[in-house]
Amino acid sequence: MINRRFSGYLFASPWIITFGFFWVYPLFYSLYLAFTDYRLMHHTYKWVGLQNFERLLADQSFLLALKNTFIFVFGTIPITTVISLILALLIEKNFKGRAIFRSGYFIPSITSMVVIALIFTNLYSRGGYLFLLSEMIGFSPPANGFLLSNKTALYSVMAMDIWMSVGYYMLLFLAGLKSIPKELYEAAEVAGAGFFRKLFSITLPLLKPVALYIIVINTIKSFQVFVEIFVMTKGKYGSTTAVYFIYESGLNRFDFGYASAAAYLLFVIIAAFSIAQFSLFRRRTVS
Amino acid sequence: MRILRYIVLGLILLIMIFPLLWMFRVSFLPSNLGMNFDNLFSTKWTFDTYFDILTAGNMLRYFANSIAVGIIVTGGNILFCFLAGYAFARYRFIGRNFWFYSVIFVLMIPAHIIIIPLYLLIFKLGMYDSYWALILPFLVNPIGIFLVRQYINTLPVSMEEAARIDGAGEFRIVFKIVMPLCKPALAVLAIQVFLTNWNSFLFPFILTSSESVRTLPVGLALYQGHQAIDWPHLMAGSALAVVPVLAAFLFFQRHIVSGITTGAVKQ
Repeated sequence: MINRRFSGYLFASPWIITFGFFWVYPLFYSLYLAFTDYRLMHHTYKWVGLQNFERLLADQSFLLALKNTFIFVFGTIPITTVISLILALLIEKNFKGRAIFRSGYFIPSITSMVVIALIFTNLYSRGGYLFLLSEMIGFSPPANGFLLSNKTALYSVMAMDIWMSVGYYMLLFLAGLKSIPKELYEAAEVAGAGFFRKLFSITLPLLKPVALYIIVINTIKSFQVFVEIFVMTKGKYGSTTAVYFIYESGLNRFDFGYASAAAYLLFVIIAAFSIAQFSLFRRRTVS
Repeated sequence: MRILRYIVLGLILLIMIFPLLWMFRVSFLPSNLGMNFDNLFSTKWTFDTYFDILTAGNMLRYFANSIAVGIIVTGGNILFCFLAGYAFARYRFIGRNFWFYSVIFVLMIPAHIIIIPLYLLIFKLGMYDSYWALILPFLVNPIGIFLVRQYINTLPVSMEEAARIDGAGEFRIVFKIVMPLCKPALAVLAIQVFLTNWNSFLFPFILTSSESVRTLPVGLALYQGHQAIDWPHLMAGSALAVVPVLAAFLFFQRHIVSGITTGAVKQ
């Protein structure tokens, strides 16, 4: 490595400028906004202290958004993780046509979320295929379709989200499976271990790092669920989420201080979960 | 046993690709059929929907905007992520670690936190509702820098040192020697950036308002609002958004997969 102060800064400057302008400044700016009453109409920042936060914690629509976000995170992540693991185990071994299945399972996760959400809006609506299917198996769907009912709107979006993302995490699990040394399985077979013994004594323990990585990134992503809510329900029928609330209070009602306070509250929640997961991860690997 | 496996895998495959097949099917339906769901095996096929969206309305404009913004953003990322990644891998300069940590920091930070301030900043800069808003904040990204740095770390320095002894300047070394060697990493980066940008909704949505600068996902998401949902035309527009992705997947599958998995296994 050589000493190149000038070239170093020159080459890194696009990043440094982007970082400063579009990350550091916004982060501090919205932290400041969170303690002010700043609206588009009056161009003055009025310092209000913790008022925005107090208002939030008494705001039923924010509390519902927060509750829904937690339902979304804790409802989807375990199911997504387990299904993607099962898919990875199913197509781990080499067999004819494996590539087709792997590609097919993966394709939804690189498709535009807007498009997927539109297609599922069609499938979930009255007379749509998922509507007809649920009638067929004897589960009577809400009269106006799954997205126009308080009972099912949020869960329908969650189900779609699981469907969409399992292929992506399957790929990560496949990469993790590949990195397990084959000798371990051979040795286990010599010792007379069966399928389940190998699964629980070798495969699953060694997949733990990948699984935790998947859970961490999925947690950060799921806490920010927005696009599918915007396209499918517009936050109606009790399906609003935290980022949807931020969007609505900030960019529809132009209550910037309030929206920033909500964004920071969510930020703190996500950070707390990430730190908890990381420390859990570290303790598990050390012992 | 083997047949059972194929049946199970095939059923899952059907579940995973049916929605996209259905999108294509609907896009070829005459739109006067209205809300009609018995059309999977219908014999009615028409190209009118595609003709309509490509000749009238704004769908073609959205498509062109997405392509143009995608190409510029991808080009910017190739150049800027490469340069920054090179600087972090090979140069020693004051504050280098600090700036590299800034990359990791942004990599982990949830983007929702900058929705409001970025909107206000873009507004104050006079860039709201312009192509600048879709391009400027996204010309370099932390994942790309990280990817390039990791890749350059695996390359031997001997060629660069030899060139330096021969008196080659830094620009020459970087662009003529190192950049060609980084082609595999830059290909992964380019495809990842283009696809992410192509599918991106949140920021293009909040940073623009007029139809002339709208990208395809934003145009599709707001299309619903115009009239009672016209599914055939909406699905034809959706197909416009999906076909390039499928084509990219067909040709660059290896790159896409390695872009996703390198981060995961290295952590």
